[in-house]
Amino acid sequence: MTLVSQTTETGGQNTPLKFLKTYPMEIILAALVIFLIFVAPGFASTSNVLNVLRTVSMLGIIAFGMTAVIISGEIDLSVGAGAALAGCIVAWFADRFTDTFGDWGAVTVGFAVALLLGFSLGYLTGRFRQWFNVPTFITTLALFAALRGVANLITGGFPMSSFPLGFDFLGGGYLFGIPFPVYIFALTFAAMHFLMKYTSFGREVYAVGGNMEAARLSGIDIWKVKALTLGLTGALTAVSGTLIASQIGAGTGTTATGMELDVIAAVIIGGTSLFGGKGRIWGTLIGVLFLGCISNGMTLMNVSEYWQYVVRGGIILGAVLLNQVLERVR
Amino acid sequence: MSNPQPRSAALQGVQGRLDFRAVTKRYGPTVALSEFTHSFAPGQVHALMGKNGSGKSTLVKLLAGVTEPTSGTITVNGEDRHFTSPHDAFAAGIVTVHQELSLVPELSVGENIFLGRLPHRRRAGFSVVDWAGLHRRAGELLADMGLAIDSRQPVSALSVGQQQVVEIVKAMSFNPSILLLDEPTSALASREVKQLFALIERLRARGVTMIYITHRMSELFKIADTCTVIRDGHYIGAVEMRETTPSAIVGMMFGDAARATRPPRRTLDRTKPVLEVRDLSRSGHFHNVSFDLYPGEILGIAGLLGAGRTELMRAIFGADRIDGGSVVFDGRDMTGASPREMRKAGLGYTPENRKEVGLVQSLSTADNLCMASLGPISNRGFISRRREQPFVRRQIADLHIKCGDPELPVSSLSGGNQQKVVIGKWLNRQPTVMFFDEPSRGVDVQAKRQIFDIIWQQAADGLASLFVSTELEEVLEVADRILVMHHGAVVAEVDPTKIDLTELYGLCMEGAKQ
Repeated sequence: MTLVSQTTETGGQNTPLKFLKTYPMEIILAALVIFLIFVAPGFASTSNVLNVLRTVSMLGIIAFGMTAVIISGEIDLSVGAGAALAGCIVAWFADRFTDTFGDWGAVTVGFAVALLLGFSLGYLTGRFRQWFNVPTFITTLALFAALRGVANLITGGFPMSSFPLGFDFLGGGYLFGIPFPVYIFALTFAAMHFLMKYTSFGREVYAVGGNMEAARLSGIDIWKVKALTLGLTGALTAVSGTLIASQIGAGTGTTATGMELDVIAAVIIGGTSLFGGKGRIWGTLIGVLFLGCISNGMTLMNVSEYWQYVVRGGIILGAVLLNQVLERVR
Repeated sequence: MSNPQPRSAALQGVQGRLDFRAVTKRYGPTVALSEFTHSFAPGQVHALMGKNGSGKSTLVKLLAGVTEPTSGTITVNGEDRHFTSPHDAFAAGIVTVHQELSLVPELSVGENIFLGRLPHRRRAGFSVVDWAGLHRRAGELLADMGLAIDSRQPVSALSVGQQQVVEIVKAMSFNPSILLLDEPTSALASREVKQLFALIERLRARGVTMIYITHRMSELFKIADTCTVIRDGHYIGAVEMRETTPSAIVGMMFGDAARATRPPRRTLDRTKPVLEVRDLSRSGHFHNVSFDLYPGEILGIAGLLGAGRTELMRAIFGADRIDGGSVVFDGRDMTGASPREMRKAGLGYTPENRKEVGLVQSLSTADNLCMASLGPISNRGFISRRREQPFVRRQIADLHIKCGDPELPVSSLSGGNQQKVVIGKWLNRQPTVMFFDEPSRGVDVQAKRQIFDIIWQQAADGLASLFVSTELEEVLEVADRILVMHHGAVVAEVDPTKIDLTELYGLCMEGAKQ
């Protein structure tokens, strides 16, 4: 413990090994992409690349929020159900309130409601932890079940698809040749990266996740910080859910099934510690792209869906092992 | 583990010769221990002294089998040994009692002693835990060591001192010929230290060789036979305790490092207190505590462990609930405020367990230094390394924090430097009152001096502080005025220039002048 101060003088030993230790997932992602370019038919085609980007956007928007939640030492299992509910709320407003607000007005109000609800549920999840000492794992597990139920109650169990003309642009359209969700994805990345790195709030998230009591004794409002990260993720979930509804042209209670696991997987593959206090938005970007490439590559190579699940499980475990091993050699 | 006969175990064990020959340990380019050669004679208590980072911990780790030497040999009872795991060290008859207690609080004393090797017996064809036998043997073991502790009690019901003693009993149940004690008294009050020393005497009488690591100079002369000093990984020398003096040992530990002395006490302006505490109570911890604190004053709080010192400071800071009384800060009523509000009012608190709650170990030195002042550092919530730079640099320079790169995790710093980071974190907010809870615990003599200098310097600039230390000589030296706490109440207020250590000890122990 007492020795390290002497060993660190050199700072950077600019060897390839050092590079390997610092950017393990970046290197693995690059290797995967090169591999797929040669092996998976059509992987490198423009349309496929855009397709992958569109798919990862929906996942990534939520994953950036989830990164903050996990760094703060909490978890949110309800994002898949939350995304489905958000899509259903927007669809429901489009279906019921077009007369009141006009077709785009109804969608806008629906989106605002979904956004507010997503934020509030997340925020309250954090406060629940404070007031009743209920772990967020439990609260969001309850929401995971309940929100999907509510989504189906709203839609009556059937897809609701009375969206206004042009609504499909949000999830399925292109702007300057790039899928529209990719812009939202990029914007979310930039905003979250900035938030975590260049605001006092971001610093507080790391402090709270790294040592809750030390943060509290430093005068940080730990519960507010946790509640806000959860609220933020709820709001981003609503954004993603709306984009998904737009892409498939309907709000339905069965979309985004299992999405929470992919989101958490992406965050973990990106090197964020489930124990809290450690992680980067950049890492999550890599994690999201990695997951997107591998599932797209397997589909192109006609790997059966069942095998895809197995591979994904292996990747999650492998990524965590890799991080643990690297933690030790660093 | 392999020894099911703990009673006879405690009675045996009279070998215990330990030799180091040119033992070297490197961590990468760093030499933690260099060509260490020394023989520890059997049946004696050997103190091992050295400031933080001197290589003491490395020596302990080597003996405990936690790490392996890079070169050199360790010989136990004349036999060359090569430890690759803690199990090997056990097998060689070396047991370590680590600084951190490793008992399970919910389990009974007896169960803790035999944890992982509970005795079994046959019952209806099944092998079940032999509870009666376990407690009988644990009871014998405890009695054998002269301890009146019920083995059926949960460990959580014991005081820290008793837990430390149980830890040693557990170690002795392995029948070691060599016992390593790593700062066994760091969390103990003086009465508990006495009990511990009685136990050590008993073990010495049985011929157990003990390596005793401590930061407390006064203990050496009470308990040790020899003192071995290491500095910067090198063996400096070994002396017989009856032939040496504290200053000689300090000289060996630090080489030419100068000893700072206390600046002269100043007369304080006691017209307007900055902190007024009245009848403050927290049930089960302290009751009806009242005092005033004046600008520039260092108010020491003396008392045994469990007297309610830490609890009092935590409650004033808002970290714990209070049940009655009032706190007035700078003329404003702050009763029941949160740490956040107290921080805003100008109060800072460095907790006693800095590793657990003073710092976020996973974050960098820079992050930790800025943690309590993100608001003032940021520009409307926006922050960057560039904005933080002056705050980080100032504390590193002012407090002489040795940290290499401030962007590296704070966990890589030594105890003394970590403590300075906790203090720097608060000084970045320019507080008007600071609570220092055990700022010198687990810190080497030099860092301790520096920390006291910081406290005195800040006081000269008008900072009012509460100062708590288990080491009463420190309270006497650092404070301008001392409150003595006993069983949760303030029993006396004394002037450190008019009381000596013995009297102060007496007050802390008895709660009143005899």
